Amino acid sequence: MSNEKFTDPALDAMDDNLLDFDDDPLSATGVSRKSLVIFFLIDTSGSMKGKKMGELNTVMEELIPEIRRVGEADTEVKIAVLTFSTEVQWMYANPIPIEEFEWARLRANGVTSLGAAFRELNQRMSRNGFLNSPSLSFAPVIFLMTDGYPSDDYKAGLEELQGNSWYKYGLKAALGIGQEANDNILAEFTGSADTVVHAYSGEQLAQMIKIIAVTSSQIGSKSMTLSDDTGKELGEDDVFAAKQKLLGQQIQELVSSQTDGSDIPFDTGW
Amino acid sequence: MFSGFSHSVRGASHEKTGLVCQDSSAFKLGEQYAVVVVADGHGSKKHFRSHLGSRFAVEAAIEAIDRFYERSEELEANLPENHARIIRNIEKQIISNWNRRIDEHLAECPVTEEEKSKFKPEDFAAIPPESYYGSTLVAAVAGADYTFGLQIGDGSLVAVLEDGSAVMPMAYNESAPANVTASICNSNAAKMFSSFYLPNSRLIALFGSTDGLYTSFGSEYDFLDYHSIITSRLNDSGTFGNVILQNLKKRTHYGTEDDISLACVFHTKLLEEKLGLLQEKVSENKARSAQRKAEQLSKKAPK
Repeated sequence: MSNEKFTDPALDAMDDNLLDFDDDPLSATGVSRKSLVIFFLIDTSGSMKGKKMGELNTVMEELIPEIRRVGEADTEVKIAVLTFSTEVQWMYANPIPIEEFEWARLRANGVTSLGAAFRELNQRMSRNGFLNSPSLSFAPVIFLMTDGYPSDDYKAGLEELQGNSWYKYGLKAALGIGQEANDNILAEFTGSADTVVHAYSGEQLAQMIKIIAVTSSQIGSKSMTLSDDTGKELGEDDVFAAKQKLLGQQIQELVSSQTDGSDIPFDTGW
Repeated sequence: MFSGFSHSVRGASHEKTGLVCQDSSAFKLGEQYAVVVVADGHGSKKHFRSHLGSRFAVEAAIEAIDRFYERSEELEANLPENHARIIRNIEKQIISNWNRRIDEHLAECPVTEEEKSKFKPEDFAAIPPESYYGSTLVAAVAGADYTFGLQIGDGSLVAVLEDGSAVMPMAYNESAPANVTASICNSNAAKMFSSFYLPNSRLIALFGSTDGLYTSFGSEYDFLDYHSIITSRLNDSGTFGNVILQNLKKRTHYGTEDDISLACVFHTKLLEEKLGLLQEKVSENKARSAQRKAEQLSKKAPK
């Protein structure tokens, strides 16, 4: 095999002093950091009208700079927002890097087509859809917020979504807003009651959205491929299960540390 | 007729943790065919010899392909009709060659007490010996007017065709997203390979890379354009070889910090003929890239 050439990584690794060079013709194709997509599924049905939607818009505007900080180290965070009422609609046509993301204020109207939202998410959560970036290194974070009972066949939509590998390995969390939101349905979506929280007031809504979004982004972008804290080997399936469990634990710890607040519940006069 | 190069660079994260480069890469230039091979050792705790496993995988692939080309006329005559069966047989031969190398290495270098000391005895006993060496493998062959390839686990193949276009001939498998990868050490490895056969195609260049390269790009367009740029400079591969090597180091440093391997073979005569076309393609790609960026900005407006 006289023409066979093997590369010696040890030799290649020796010359490390040329990381910066402006005349590199290959720099025309940029370098990307590891990336993570956070999907927000937001109920914009008529029952969200008024204080709930106003508060949600405000907290999402405030939240973006906080998530931006999560991505500063070595992960690029991208945001995709799917709203559902009578129709389902994406806020932007593609996931947007957090540095460029601007919250477009939402309005509430219509019924709660949660099943349709699950089906739309299933379609876009694909290498041919919203997850087409080669630099995508982590399973997505999927955060559902709703205040009511679905008006369509959500189970059929969820069943389709459950067949999606990205959903299976994604980090899922849900927030029920007000008295009408059904925590059991939300737990069906996340796969665990620990990753479901409830907000009964504007103050709680702001707290919970921040807790879930920031915590899930942090855990979602954490590399856990080698071993957990005990040094025990984790398989790939275990890594995703461990992340989901960690998310549930941290959300519950943070939620229990929040004060009850004295503001007025959504369902009593807001 | 063919020329080539291969590089494996240690990932920035591995430099930080002191882990040796887990990737291996090679190319092979035959009379009528050329081969690229890359392999990415898993690098995690139970795969504690995967830097050797990746090297054995690369050697096993070249050995198997060489063996099939010992009767090259017969092989090439059969490929159009029986490519699926032939590629499957090559895959089986690779696994057999790899397992033989593992057995020989284990006989020569039994697991040391230090290697065992990182596990509880019962945990160590539960690891199949071939897992110590777990690795992915990507291999492809460029012939006179055809190409074929096979892979187990992640990694990429890019072919630059004689019309100057860069394509990824292997279909993407969506069933294993986000770092869940198949391995040559799996007990059912023979059933986990993906493969492709591209008849009636003259290649200017053929590239194989480990996933550290692919994941350092923001878009697949950029990934393909990268290969077009390299191909357009291969006439000066001596000087440009160092530029590629340094760029790979830059990509791991600023990208996903993983090991990166890139192996390439190219048809020297066809390259010379198509150099003008390739340079035009690079300019076109640059213009398209600018257009895509502009479109993306316009899409940013709320729907």
